[in-house]
Amino acid sequence: MRALTWTGVNRLSVEDVPEPQLLNDHDVILRVTRTTTCGSDLHLLSGYIPFMRAGDVIGHEFMGEVVEVGSGVRHRRVGDRVVVASFVSCGNCWYCRHELYSLCDNSNPNPGITEGLWGQSIGGCVGYSHAVGGYAGSHAEYVRVPFADVGSFVVPDGVPDDRALFASDAASTAFTGVDLGGVQPGDTVAVWGAGAVGQMVARISALVGAERVFVVDRLPERLEQARTHAGAETIDYSTTDVAAELRERTGGRGPDVCIEAVGMEAHSPGPQGVYDQVKQQLRLQTDRPTAVREAVMACRKSGSVFTLGVFAAMVDKFPLGAVMNKGLTLRGAQVHGPRYIPRLLEWMERGELVTEHLATHVMPLEDAPRGYELFKEKQDGCVRAVFVP
Amino acid sequence: MIGRAAGLTSNAGAALLGRLQHVRLPGVGTASAKDDPATAARRWRAVTVLAEPDRLADLPSPLAALGDRVETRVTPAPGDKGTELAARFRGPATDDDIGRLRQALREAKQLVEVGEVLRMDPRPHGERPDTPGGRLLDGAVAASRREGLL
Repeated sequence: MRALTWTGVNRLSVEDVPEPQLLNDHDVILRVTRTTTCGSDLHLLSGYIPFMRAGDVIGHEFMGEVVEVGSGVRHRRVGDRVVVASFVSCGNCWYCRHELYSLCDNSNPNPGITEGLWGQSIGGCVGYSHAVGGYAGSHAEYVRVPFADVGSFVVPDGVPDDRALFASDAASTAFTGVDLGGVQPGDTVAVWGAGAVGQMVARISALVGAERVFVVDRLPERLEQARTHAGAETIDYSTTDVAAELRERTGGRGPDVCIEAVGMEAHSPGPQGVYDQVKQQLRLQTDRPTAVREAVMACRKSGSVFTLGVFAAMVDKFPLGAVMNKGLTLRGAQVHGPRYIPRLLEWMERGELVTEHLATHVMPLEDAPRGYELFKEKQDGCVRAVFVP
Repeated sequence: MIGRAAGLTSNAGAALLGRLQHVRLPGVGTASAKDDPATAARRWRAVTVLAEPDRLADLPSPLAALGDRVETRVTPAPGDKGTELAARFRGPATDDDIGRLRQALREAKQLVEVGEVLRMDPRPHGERPDTPGGRLLDGAVAASRREGLL
């Protein structure tokens, strides 16, 4: 079959690879019908997550049609049209039973790597390096889905592919941040990053009752989407002081909940951005936490800051004093997909959550390297490149 | 000669992963960072299994396979967390022994909780060039079921 493989830092290739097989009783094999780029893929591409092997198939946000079913699968049938959670979850460990699916104890076959990095191993993730399992990714004609009864969801007939696709990861990641960040009716929410995840945070915050939502970015086309499709107020950080703007617009309080949807390669104009770039390149820190710092400083006293962007390990100059003295709640998580995908599909079916506008570039899998270039360089207004194998 | 060099690099990857667990830097590899090797080898290594203790009355096969060299302890976990399954070698143990014990505990937990041990190969992949970095990662990945802070 054809698949997109990582062949080295900033190098991708579409090549012939063997088809996946059923390996465990709870597996299904999916014929992929839609699979999309994600901002977190860029960290793999750029070599910031050093657990990629040349030849690895990438991609973790996808949907498709079930074509083969393992003997232990109870709720999926050949022919089902499903969207799949990016993290793999067994459904039976303590974490899965408490709906903390990305923390699954049993789905990362390489626990020795992340235990050393973080003190505990988290769950596995499709197509996202050997640190989280080394699963072959979804940018391919076929993909293996382990524990399919837990992580795959039948898409209602009325939900088109380019909407359902984003329930897989972007919207469910956003919902994770909104829910665990504690957004309540009447809250003011600020979101850093107007990519697909940031826009979904804005829309889902509104759906759960937030009264005002601000989205911070610098790309005009993304800010326009956040205004149009999520009803958010927007702040261009390249032209204004974000914290001052937020103070001014929130009666001096700051937002109740600040959600960071940027991650370890945050862009920042000015000296802070240069400082973080240099330290990261010298490997004196692994991540650039610009947006998280700003969120901590902007957040109202006793508010909540949620890190939703992907971080790998260590950061520098973190305002821990502000966290402690302002009484903030600081929390983060990878996506707990199965906890949120059913409700997302309901919203999508009712037309309350639309995502088609995120798929700015839909193209054949053969063009995937070009799709990643557009996405990485943010050319031609690219928000997400979607591949059709 | 080239094959031997490749093997050495792969072994280096496995060794590197093992050593990383013992690096004494703040926040990095905190397993037994203050223990001498003999003390570290004697520690109980434990997983918490979401099951009643009686499900572990007969040891799961991966642990049973280690035989009398290993002693085990089964105790209810606090709250709703299930049962703590701990094991250690009765006598001196090498790094390889402890690696096998880690893998056995993880597989025992999987067997009780989900009924099977996750399999990964064969898996689709493209061309894997034979490079030192690639061999290093291959070695680390091959060792990762036996390594970690457990």
